[in-house]
Amino acid sequence: MTNTSTYQAYRAWVTEAIAGKPRISVVIPAYNEEWRILPTVGAIATHMCARGEPWELIVADDGSTDSTVELLTDLRFPNMRVLIADRNRGKGSAVRRGVLAAQGDYVLFADADQSTPIEQFDRLLDELTKGYDVAVGSRAASGAAVSGRSLLRRTLSRGLRVVVGIGFGVKVADTQCGFKLFTADAARTLFELQIVDNFSFDLEVLYLSSKVGLKVAEVPVEWIDAPGSTVDAAKVSLQFLTDLVKIRISDLRGHYTVGGHQSVARATGRRHAIVPAPSPVNQ
Amino acid sequence: MRIRTETGAGHHSISLAGRFDAHEIDGFRVAFEPLMSEPATVVHVDLANVVFVDSSALAELLRAQRAARESDGDLILVNMSDPVRIILELTALEQVFTTEAGANAAAGVAADGSGRPVETR
Repeated sequence: MTNTSTYQAYRAWVTEAIAGKPRISVVIPAYNEEWRILPTVGAIATHMCARGEPWELIVADDGSTDSTVELLTDLRFPNMRVLIADRNRGKGSAVRRGVLAAQGDYVLFADADQSTPIEQFDRLLDELTKGYDVAVGSRAASGAAVSGRSLLRRTLSRGLRVVVGIGFGVKVADTQCGFKLFTADAARTLFELQIVDNFSFDLEVLYLSSKVGLKVAEVPVEWIDAPGSTVDAAKVSLQFLTDLVKIRISDLRGHYTVGGHQSVARATGRRHAIVPAPSPVNQ
Repeated sequence: MRIRTETGAGHHSISLAGRFDAHEIDGFRVAFEPLMSEPATVVHVDLANVVFVDSSALAELLRAQRAARESDGDLILVNMSDPVRIILELTALEQVFTTEAGANAAAGVAADGSGRPVETR
């Protein structure tokens, strides 16, 4: 039933610009999402307004050719920005633009389909307040509740997980879940380095997190397959493997080097330098 | 999503709880369509415990409303949760549906003494 205070907080959020810096930025990448975007904005706005903290919403369009941008800009919400792209470049490009535009102390990127319900945000934030730099929503971690994921997708994911773990040293079991939370420093560090424009950017970001010594928590989440997905799992997996090679080559060519040969952690004075510590990843 | 149906004399209610998305449309239809067997049927859909509705679910509610009105009945949304209310506003559908802010359909059915609750999921 309607909670008056939540609805009032929502009305305030859609009519008045927040004073000062937001504590939380939510970034949604969107490509031709006219069918799904408004319910997603509504769900996110409800939850974030109920939290009672200043927050902003950034929808990073990825060259949509449908009415996604018009639907959003017509809302004229003072605390929502729509970043319009002149053409489709890929999810990684959209998320990068959104994250680098974010002003919050914490930056969440969440897929436009609400396959990970926004209520899971609170669990990720808990991990950052414990000292982690990145909290990754995971369908593979113990305690995750996953529904509607096909056997083919599950099988391919397991295979890719092995490749990623062995070939890249990334210990996160689910690199591709579209629900990740960063501290502002971590977000800026990672997305200023990140160059992959397509969906493999998730892996790249986690690879970079490991490379620069950021602490990553893997958080089990509820996940519901979004009906209407047109993703070809086999084709996507093949592209993913190709991107793995590209990321490795980019690293060897020095594209991810910051501040000479220093780690980002050292270059930015962060407390988490690269150290051979036990894995901070919650398995 | 959990679906609870209560039936009375020309007055029925369906209470939904959880996430109402494209996966749940068939379940809703199974609960709703038998209620349309008689003309002038009014169905209250209680949304107090719905945490999310996607566009497919909204389309299904519109379809159900049209079916009810074609037989001189109606579909009335009651006890809308915050996310449902806000999503209806954002999609400009709050004026399309008949809504009742404080009514509790389930209680209404029970009050006439003929309530017959059915939990379908």
